[in-house]
Amino acid sequence: MKFTIYQESRIGKRASNQDRIAYCYSRDALLMVVADGMGGHLHGEVAAQIAVQFITQAFQREAQPLVGDPVLFLSHVMTNAHHAILDYAFDKYLPEAPRTTVVACLIQNGQAYWAHAGDSRLYLLRKGEVEMQTRDHSRVQLMLDQGLIDAEGAAVHPGRNRIYSCLGGNHSPQVEFSRPTPLFSGDILALCTDGVWGPVGTEPLKARLLDGRPLMKSIPKLLDEAEERGGAHADNLSMIGLLWLQDFAETLPDTVSTQTMAISSFTTQMESFERTAGSGAQDLTDDEIEQAISEINVAIKKFTSD
Amino acid sequence: MPPQVNQALPSGFQLDQYRIERQLSLGGFSIVYLAYDAEGTPVAIKEYLPNSLALRGEGEVEPKISAENEPAFRYGMKCFFEEGRALAKLMHPNVVRVLNFFRANNTVYMVMQFERGRTLHEYVNKHRDVLRERFLRGVFTRMLNGLREVHAHKLLHLDIKPSNIYLRLDGTPVLLDFGAARQTLMTGQPMLKPMYTPGFASPEQFAGREHLGPWSDIYSVGASMYACLAGSAPPRSDERTTKDTYTPAAKAFAGRHSEQLLDIIDWCLHLDPLARPQSVYALQKALVQRGPDEAMPASWFSDVGSRLKTFIGRS
Repeated sequence: MKFTIYQESRIGKRASNQDRIAYCYSRDALLMVVADGMGGHLHGEVAAQIAVQFITQAFQREAQPLVGDPVLFLSHVMTNAHHAILDYAFDKYLPEAPRTTVVACLIQNGQAYWAHAGDSRLYLLRKGEVEMQTRDHSRVQLMLDQGLIDAEGAAVHPGRNRIYSCLGGNHSPQVEFSRPTPLFSGDILALCTDGVWGPVGTEPLKARLLDGRPLMKSIPKLLDEAEERGGAHADNLSMIGLLWLQDFAETLPDTVSTQTMAISSFTTQMESFERTAGSGAQDLTDDEIEQAISEINVAIKKFTSD
Repeated sequence: MPPQVNQALPSGFQLDQYRIERQLSLGGFSIVYLAYDAEGTPVAIKEYLPNSLALRGEGEVEPKISAENEPAFRYGMKCFFEEGRALAKLMHPNVVRVLNFFRANNTVYMVMQFERGRTLHEYVNKHRDVLRERFLRGVFTRMLNGLREVHAHKLLHLDIKPSNIYLRLDGTPVLLDFGAARQTLMTGQPMLKPMYTPGFASPEQFAGREHLGPWSDIYSVGASMYACLAGSAPPRSDERTTKDTYTPAAKAFAGRHSEQLLDIIDWCLHLDPLARPQSVYALQKALVQRGPDEAMPASWFSDVGSRLKTFIGRS
């Protein structure tokens, strides 16, 4: 796989950042998760943290180096992450389970699969257009679908933050799954929380991501814009952007090629863990050395036994 | 100068299933030995031993690695593995074969097929006066078949020079030493600077590594051809970018070789990556198209057989 990826999470003007984001990839599969812990409820950031951590760990367990059944995987991790949040609430005697939105996207074999609960979004941008996007699990979206309000009304509706599906909380989540979607070179997948798409709006968001600059530049710019428009009470804002490239594309700066990765190794970026992960993450363990050697020997045998 | 020199393993040393015969070469990153396996077949063994990070003193076997260098040593090992992974996947008559990979003495070893012959560097030094153009075109066109395979696997060699091109006894070239072919090292680990040979390295290897591509290897191919004619490498490309003292081959060797060959060399040695041949294929095409009067043997250029073999080997 070849791609460039960038993620950033900002606190906005809030007291704490309850957004959690992470991406993780093996040689042949890639996962991105965005979770927006719900303010107004207790411990929103805990729910978001549990969800992101749980889902990336499940990915690392199962992507060896591919996930068996992508849709089943997404379905399991979403349900299990929900229960992990409930278990946490039970263990800590919390009066109610914390809640979080989640949007998770898995890519393997050139196909993208995603699932979401709540109003964190995924956009698929192709050829300058929004090819696909997730539909928020919000009342406003329902009203919009029924023609009760228009997009302008939705953007300022007082209940626009109310969502009817999330992980944690008292109800089982309603998780929505995408169809397997083949990716083409140049496709951009953007996952973000409402702190980004809310203040900016879909069209400017699209324009900014497609302005031809690398994601490392355009995403911070987009977040600047969202933060500015969010004003004095700007929400937490987070985004992961991925630019999909052809396997045979020449390697540009910052492009990740998983071509020479060991089968069982993973690269994980989880913002909130950076402090605890430490710099030792680069080290090879003895097991990894053994693994790499046996893998190279398998490759050698495979090519010599003709 | 490196502050220290590593001692090679002694002759007769039993390393895993191999018996060391002698040291073949010593680099900043590794030592290469000639050794024999249990059946007495000669092999070349490359030992991961970066000078700056690990030291093997006189009479010692295991290199000493200080605690502070340990992370960097392990990181470099990753790069060594990447070279192994890359080579393990390449099966091509013009690319050196990896036979085995193992761990011993606190470090790792890569076993490669030992080829009899000599490097193009040695050959040219001896025969420069009688070097025929046809020989040069033949060696480079066939060596480029191997390089094409490397590029087809999304790798770059980044250290092509006459001493890394080996001529078997039958004259067929083999591309050696993929120590620099590590894409991921680009991301700049300060402890292990990417290696290159001044004079043969493209300007983008010195600065602007984001512009690296097949054309960077092609610069080195051009520099190697130039060195075969001149006896020494062209001026360093990083110095050329500030003050270009390069005499175009078309001028320096006018009358001694065909204009078309000299033009190809100058074409490869453009400082602007976009001005060079953009693919190995384009360069090969130019190398075999000398003129309508002389046709080059088709066998130089085609490697359908080996591609087919690779394909079968894969399934």
